[in-house]
Amino acid sequence: MSDFSVIGKSIAMVDAAGKTTGAGKYTDDFSMPGMLVGKILHSPYPHALIKRIDLSKAKALEGVVAIVTGADAPNQYGILPVGHDETALAVEKVRYIGDNVACVAAVSEEIAERALELIEVEYEPLPAYFDPEESMKAETDLIHENRPHNIEKDYHHVFGDPEQGFAEADYVHEARYIANEVTHAAMEPHSTLASFEIDPHTGKQGRLTVWSSTQVPYYLQHKLSLVLELPMSQIRVIKPLVGGGFGGKSEINPLEIIAAVAARAANAPVKVTYTREEVFWAHRGRPRTIIDLKTGVKNDGRVTSVACKVVQDGGAYCSYGVVTILYSGALLGALYDIPNIRYDGYRVLTNKPACGAMRGHGTVNVRFAFESQMDEICANLNLDPAEMRRVNLLKPPTVTVNGLRVLSYGLPECIEQVVRRSGWNDRKGRMPKGRGLGVACSHYVSGAANSIIRSDMPHSTVNIKIDRDGGVVVYTGASEIGQGSDTMVAQIVAEVLGCDISRVKVIAADTDLTPIDLGSYSSRVTFMSGNAALQAAEDVKKNILSAAAKRMNCAPEDVIMRNDRVLRRGTTMSEGSSTWSDSSSGKDAASGHVDGQILRGSVLQTRKEEGPRDHMSFEEAVVSAIDFHGGLTGTGSYAPPAAARGGKQKGGGVGPSPAYSYSAQVADVSVDEETGEVTVHKIWAAHDCGRALNPVAVEGQVIGSVWMGLGQALQEEMVWKDGLLMNPGMLEYRSPSSTESPDIECIIVESIDPEGPFGAKEAGEGSLAATIPAISNAIYDAVGVRLRESPFTPERILAALRAKKGMKRIEMTESVDPTAPQKLREHGGSLWFRGKGPMRHPLDPARQGAKAGGER
Amino acid sequence: MKKELIALRVNHRAYELAVEPNKLLLDVLRQDLGLTGSKQACDDSSCGACTVQVDGIPMLSCTMLAASCEGQEITTVEGVADHGALTALQKAYGDFGGSQCGFCTPGFMMTVRWLLANNPDPSEDEIRDALSSNLCRCTGYTQMYQAVRAAIEAEQKGSKRELVGAK
Amino acid sequence: MSLPSFRLLRPKTLDGAIAMMAEYAGDLKVVAGGTDLLPSMKQKLFTPGYVLDLRGIIELRGIRSVSGKGIEIGALTALTTIEHDPTIRRDYPVLYEATKTVASPVLRNMGTIGGNLCLDTRCLWYNQSLVWRQSCGFCLKKDGELCHVAPGGKYCWATFSGDTPPALLCLGAEIEIAGPGGVRCTPLSEFYVNDGIVRLHLAANEIVTRVFLPESSAGWRGSYQKLRVRGSIDYPLAGVAVALKLRSGRVEDARVAITAVNPAPFLVKDVDAQLVGAMPSEDIAERIGDLAASTAKPLTTSALTPEYRREMVRVFTKRAILRAAAN
Repeated sequence: MSDFSVIGKSIAMVDAAGKTTGAGKYTDDFSMPGMLVGKILHSPYPHALIKRIDLSKAKALEGVVAIVTGADAPNQYGILPVGHDETALAVEKVRYIGDNVACVAAVSEEIAERALELIEVEYEPLPAYFDPEESMKAETDLIHENRPHNIEKDYHHVFGDPEQGFAEADYVHEARYIANEVTHAAMEPHSTLASFEIDPHTGKQGRLTVWSSTQVPYYLQHKLSLVLELPMSQIRVIKPLVGGGFGGKSEINPLEIIAAVAARAANAPVKVTYTREEVFWAHRGRPRTIIDLKTGVKNDGRVTSVACKVVQDGGAYCSYGVVTILYSGALLGALYDIPNIRYDGYRVLTNKPACGAMRGHGTVNVRFAFESQMDEICANLNLDPAEMRRVNLLKPPTVTVNGLRVLSYGLPECIEQVVRRSGWNDRKGRMPKGRGLGVACSHYVSGAANSIIRSDMPHSTVNIKIDRDGGVVVYTGASEIGQGSDTMVAQIVAEVLGCDISRVKVIAADTDLTPIDLGSYSSRVTFMSGNAALQAAEDVKKNILSAAAKRMNCAPEDVIMRNDRVLRRGTTMSEGSSTWSDSSSGKDAASGHVDGQILRGSVLQTRKEEGPRDHMSFEEAVVSAIDFHGGLTGTGSYAPPAAARGGKQKGGGVGPSPAYSYSAQVADVSVDEETGEVTVHKIWAAHDCGRALNPVAVEGQVIGSVWMGLGQALQEEMVWKDGLLMNPGMLEYRSPSSTESPDIECIIVESIDPEGPFGAKEAGEGSLAATIPAISNAIYDAVGVRLRESPFTPERILAALRAKKGMKRIEMTESVDPTAPQKLREHGGSLWFRGKGPMRHPLDPARQGAKAGGER
Repeated sequence: MKKELIALRVNHRAYELAVEPNKLLLDVLRQDLGLTGSKQACDDSSCGACTVQVDGIPMLSCTMLAASCEGQEITTVEGVADHGALTALQKAYGDFGGSQCGFCTPGFMMTVRWLLANNPDPSEDEIRDALSSNLCRCTGYTQMYQAVRAAIEAEQKGSKRELVGAK
Repeated sequence: MSLPSFRLLRPKTLDGAIAMMAEYAGDLKVVAGGTDLLPSMKQKLFTPGYVLDLRGIIELRGIRSVSGKGIEIGALTALTTIEHDPTIRRDYPVLYEATKTVASPVLRNMGTIGGNLCLDTRCLWYNQSLVWRQSCGFCLKKDGELCHVAPGGKYCWATFSGDTPPALLCLGAEIEIAGPGGVRCTPLSEFYVNDGIVRLHLAANEIVTRVFLPESSAGWRGSYQKLRVRGSIDYPLAGVAVALKLRSGRVEDARVAITAVNPAPFLVKDVDAQLVGAMPSEDIAERIGDLAASTAKPLTTSALTPEYRREMVRVFTKRAILRAAAN
């Protein structure tokens, strides 16, 4: 039994009632007097020069207040310092269908939309590139002039001696895997409201306030400053409730800058909310990834060497791409003990919307390949897949061959749990025809040990203010996006201060009020903001204890804060005695809820000073501390320790984390051999989150990750035709409905990380990556076909089944065999349009732009 | 296009509003009445985030003209809470993780409320079916089942208590 | 996305509606449940001057038995009402099964049977926003000169994607159509045109007012099988309806209809020759499956490959026959 009062208890999110009653406000729910609606004009060409833009007709439309183009905000920006290749609106050239060309601010959505139709743009189409392996051959008409061969970045890492490792292997397995492109599809479409104030001294436009659906308010403030050439101090970013991010809002989306640029031009507040189609164009999702993987093993399954080549179809801008391609290599380490690794990663530009960070950033597709290959090796060497994972476990504390430090490591227990709960040993290999079990593991960082912008600044800072009313106000820049960060911070502070959680009010993600926090991405919040909150609470607690100790005539070490009371150690009415803390009448009397007492506290207390006390209410303690210290505030911050920051190799800064979460999963599936349809009956997912601060929230995160992995495994896919996204809507991009969503059982494993707040690590991403291979391995177990391309749609499975049975072949699936003809990768991986599918009409504008690069 | 004067009843209150004929019910609720609980999330009538009840029946407010709802009783998520207190369903969605980012939650409130009004003791399959009108991207729906079942239990206990109290 | 501007007409009676349609035909769209039309209007696929809202016409709602004739369903009856009607569930199981697969429960609260019959044909190159369609040079069905599905052709292959029509075709349903000249009845099988643009034998000033299920097909066993990726919300990617009249295990009459694989839903020909007098068996069901598959002409209008969708017509037909026989 843990000795905590708040930590480890399942509680509702602090903002839950706002969500179930509709009272909670998201960005698009705000409006202001005089507010205009902004609508964006998008490029119909995948790659073209802008020769001329004529705004005159659109400007003449009644109700149009301002129209802005690239010329109004030409400064380049990008989430990574090495990737400043975007402008809010296109300057001279567009790079994908959907690229941003102009924005109209008008009095209504309808008028703004009509004005877009009146803007005349003359384009000169350029050859476009849609397939990454083709794009890499480009010599001319580059997507960005400073990126030869359209390669955004390539890395070539060697750790240990891979060749020697393969030479020592008893068996080497090699295959190509493809994971097609998926996107976040968060329920809330991105929205930004921007408003300038008039400066009283200059009489001109002054401070800017931006409300935005973002995971990273401070980066937004920074990039707005860069583009608008306004000091950061003049920009306030407020993050209201965010309706899901999953990485899609973890960088600056064009609308966030566009809204501000339009507001500046219109001299009025402007709100831009994406349509769902625009959300798909903004994208920043998980890139289509081609993985050539080679693994050498001993006969007992021990891995001796891994060689992995990854090509990512990154779309038209860098976005997080350099980090993605590095994570894909770095996270080959830290799950299993792999002595030798060779990694070649290519992040390639194509004329499609930019890919970026998506839940499980960088690791998911490579993990699919790796865990599938392990299963293939087991089939060939007749090994038990769960056992093969056991023989390759790390022995922490350790530093992996590629420089990742691993302290807490709950993977062995995770494997144990899912093997036991799924009945693996009894059921595997004894299932009825068409049904199977598959196992896979994954891991993820608890925040990046090195920040995007290299500096010595803390990654998270938390301030606490307590006033005479006994209210504890916590100021954190951590961004609640539905994962529960506000609740986590409140829990940690309440636990440290021994107060009721209802006293704690969290003010979050408002750059004027809250200290800098890097934001909600790479699962960093619980570990980093949590540690900062812990430290801030300890800081403020110290002052309460010293004041209370004076009143109690004892040493501060002898004062205990617990159950909303402050006690001298050894007091009878003491901690753990639940009689009074549960009885409401007793509690009220004891905790000083007497009208007016708090503000008059000091007077009363002076009068009542009749001798040393042995216990006091939380308010009394707070009032004494304020009287004693002159105020009651605390600050805490977190920066990852040097030992966790990784190796010195080029790109070695990405991958290291202060702690890693671990997951093992077993999927139980059936395959209909006539239709190729897969039914997932159940997934057991064991996740090592260090310590579950709020178990119901941890389960929600783990189940949500597994479920999102299931979507990528079975039905989600962005389908392209010559750079045109065929399914830019929720009807055609099929995220699972409740009907086909299986029962997912989450098993929490607690390894108690030595550096995490109360031992906690990440919970929100690490489980996703294991789901895809667990399902693929289960399909293999069920019907004996190996799916090396995701999603495992019924047509792909049926084609594989027919090929296996030597039945009449229906050419439905692309082969991922590296020796297969090039043309099978036509159309950037989509298979809806292969075979008898159409070629573009010669007059089709997109085709005119597609001569040299994309089509053959 | 010229506005028309229409009478709408929303959450038991009567409103007289001037709206364009092409204005969607969702936009009138959000923009004219400030009832921003109902959300716009897709544009192709697939996701259910805008669900409201029209004469008690859940429908998509993004797919209805405001003017065609004249004279009908509209209930939005803002009209669900019971005299300022959370209903059992709202409480359970919070307690059991039925809501994460919360953007889909108002829609789910409306469809599940309809389920429970028509079928106070639904089977597992009936709950699954009732949830299938709305998409959620956070929860995988699993914790919603627990929430719905907990709400049913709480309702059953609550109604027993009410009966006892009446005596 | 906003709707284009229009004037809204809200008649309270059928006669009122007919009069308005006569006046504005050509510049008018009729809306019932709205689940098909309104999203399309947001995409500017339709920009009519007038929208005629049928919701106020109470006389077109409801299901009633007409003795000696069968069942009459008002065109404005919500699909949910049909799904929960005990008589339909008992006597016309194929319609019950098809109805409960339409979209999602909430969409069935809104969608009407008349709307499902008159559903616009769908295509990935057509059901897209204005900007999207502009970027591919538009298409034959709307604003353009070319077909992206069958390049060079002058024929639109957009797919009929309703679930209930194949069931109604199997039941030999008739529909009532009202227009300025009065009311006419037509077998549903003569209502559809296998052309993605023309679609229906329905004049611009006419509307479908009622659906009749003949008493002669009451009690036929039935099953509807739908191919979709997602278990809810989705339109069919292929659909097969089967209705069998059985007497002591032998087939007395049989119909099979397919949807979502052609511009119109079709009754599969020569099914009775194979089935009548036989006991439904795996063998026979497979042969009918081949017939159905050869009737299907799926193209790249929809998700999943045409080859796969055609193959599923074969499999689903077989399954629907065996399930109907076992029901």
